[in-house]
Amino acid sequence: MNNHEAQFVLNAYRPNGQDAADPQFSDALAQARRDPMLQQWFTDSIAFDKAITEKLCSVEVPAGLRESILAGGRVSRPAPWLRPLHKLAIAAAILLCAIVGSLIHEISKPRLAGWQTEALDVISSLVNGKSRFDFQSHDSAQLVAWLADNHAMSPTKIPHRLMGLQSLGCKTFAWNGSDVSVICFVNDGREVHLVMTKASALANRTLRSEPQMVQRGQWATATWRSGEMVYMLVSEGSPDELRSYLL
Amino acid sequence: MSANDFKQLVDEQYAPLFRFALALAKSEADASDLTQQTFFIWASKSDQLRDPSKAKAWLFTTLHREFLNRRRHEVRFPQVELDEACVEEMSISPNMSVIDSATVLQALSELEEPYRAVITLFYLEQFSYRDIADVLEIPVGTVMSRLSRGKAQLRQRLVSKEETTARRIVPIAMEDRN
Repeated sequence: MNNHEAQFVLNAYRPNGQDAADPQFSDALAQARRDPMLQQWFTDSIAFDKAITEKLCSVEVPAGLRESILAGGRVSRPAPWLRPLHKLAIAAAILLCAIVGSLIHEISKPRLAGWQTEALDVISSLVNGKSRFDFQSHDSAQLVAWLADNHAMSPTKIPHRLMGLQSLGCKTFAWNGSDVSVICFVNDGREVHLVMTKASALANRTLRSEPQMVQRGQWATATWRSGEMVYMLVSEGSPDELRSYLL
Repeated sequence: MSANDFKQLVDEQYAPLFRFALALAKSEADASDLTQQTFFIWASKSDQLRDPSKAKAWLFTTLHREFLNRRRHEVRFPQVELDEACVEEMSISPNMSVIDSATVLQALSELEEPYRAVITLFYLEQFSYRDIADVLEIPVGTVMSRLSRGKAQLRQRLVSKEETTARRIVPIAMEDRN
């Protein structure tokens, strides 16, 4: 390191000695100790720096500046509810509400009972050709009669619009020791299935006469009670499409 | 940050910040405005700054950025040629005992802006060369270079002012009473 390089480095050395331990200066400081001319320059430089620092730090600050800053700072600070911790708390509260809300929604959401799920499985297997009807007829009255003759669950009242549809067949099955019957209809190539069982056989005795719509996968279902019977209408599609059969 | 913490920060930093702003902006009104603006930005955003120990560096950096932003909207300064400072100027020594703080401030404000910011931060004794590099967001080598050349320019300007002042002082002719 020559003197020019040492001067370059030592120009960054603060006059109060704060940088004495900084290894960046060690070579330049050693060079100054060895070279009296450089040492003299460094001594003068430090004196000059101290004088400048002293004069610069004595520059008066305008009266009232501090008060203006403090006053302005008060109005510039974000509202408490906008501060990060509060934002976090608000976000947590919203999240909690969403979780609780979805739980409530989940709990209160109409669900399918066991017999209904079983009925959907039976319908699926009929649709997929994995099982066969117990009795087939394009006349729904014949299907109802066959069910009654075989002491199976038969409908006491069929929705008006279904009566005008062509039927395909019927199938019976038992769920939890209770008889359940399914009558299948077809409308413009789309199948509609009417499932029925005795209300007294079900755990949920609070079923209402107004249809309760539940979507399960591709199946739209509408369940209602009529007298001693509980019916479930099933079709592929949306609840709105299904609703048209209930008008 | 609580109101008390903000007040404490203002008390600790507003004077050095103002002096830095004054050296940059060359006008007391602009310096005051820059200083206030910096604290107002702090007040509105300080919650985003996780490390309170970096508040000082943040304030100086923000003030410098604000100054540069404002300057961009004003008349563009000519590009400074950083390599033209004379090495010989390092050996010039003004007589500091006859130079007051206003003269130092004026000489400082006459430096080109890249030197002015570095030199002011250095002389305020707030920052090491590494701190200055962080505040101004420039490499350490650039800080050292600007310190070296900026000091040389400052010395030359102070000597020049010293000479001008000396020329203005006209010795009073002593009447020979004998």
